[in-house]
Amino acid sequence: MLEKVKYTMGSDPTGKLSRMFGVYDDATGLALRGTFIISPEGKLLNHEVNYYNLGRNIEELLRKVEANIYLGEHGDEACPVSWKQKGDKTLKPSAELVGKVHQAME
Amino acid sequence: MSNACGGLSVGDIVPDFRLETFEPEKGDFGEVSLRRITEEKKWLVLFFYPADFTFV
Repeated sequence: MLEKVKYTMGSDPTGKLSRMFGVYDDATGLALRGTFIISPEGKLLNHEVNYYNLGRNIEELLRKVEANIYLGEHGDEACPVSWKQKGDKTLKPSAELVGKVHQAME
Repeated sequence: MSNACGGLSVGDIVPDFRLETFEPEKGDFGEVSLRRITEEKKWLVLFFYPADFTFV
């Protein structure tokens, strides 16, 4: 049954980790559908929590992981609203950019 | 630090934690810690789900 699973599966039987990340549901004893992205420096960069019956969008998760990796390597840049994948235009936040984001994105 | 829902806030440094694991590619149990992952300079995605057979 696990033959296609390639990632590490963690075990949190006491709910300690779920509580640390704020996804433990006291009413059911289950974890909500939470996704957390942590940088190599140990910083929590993203948090998404869905109630039980809403599945998560994996394309969006991969987009955010790629974006965070890129931003980790380019500390002076920002991924704008429309950023989808590596290679898409980014912005360099500065006073000069005020009122000119549209132009910068053309 | 906590937010309105309890738990860590985005921007926090995550405290070290350890988890017992199962590695399907090795077919064996193991253990992972956040400290070891950051020592290896890796990114980590934690993906919580409520239970098996919840279909989403």
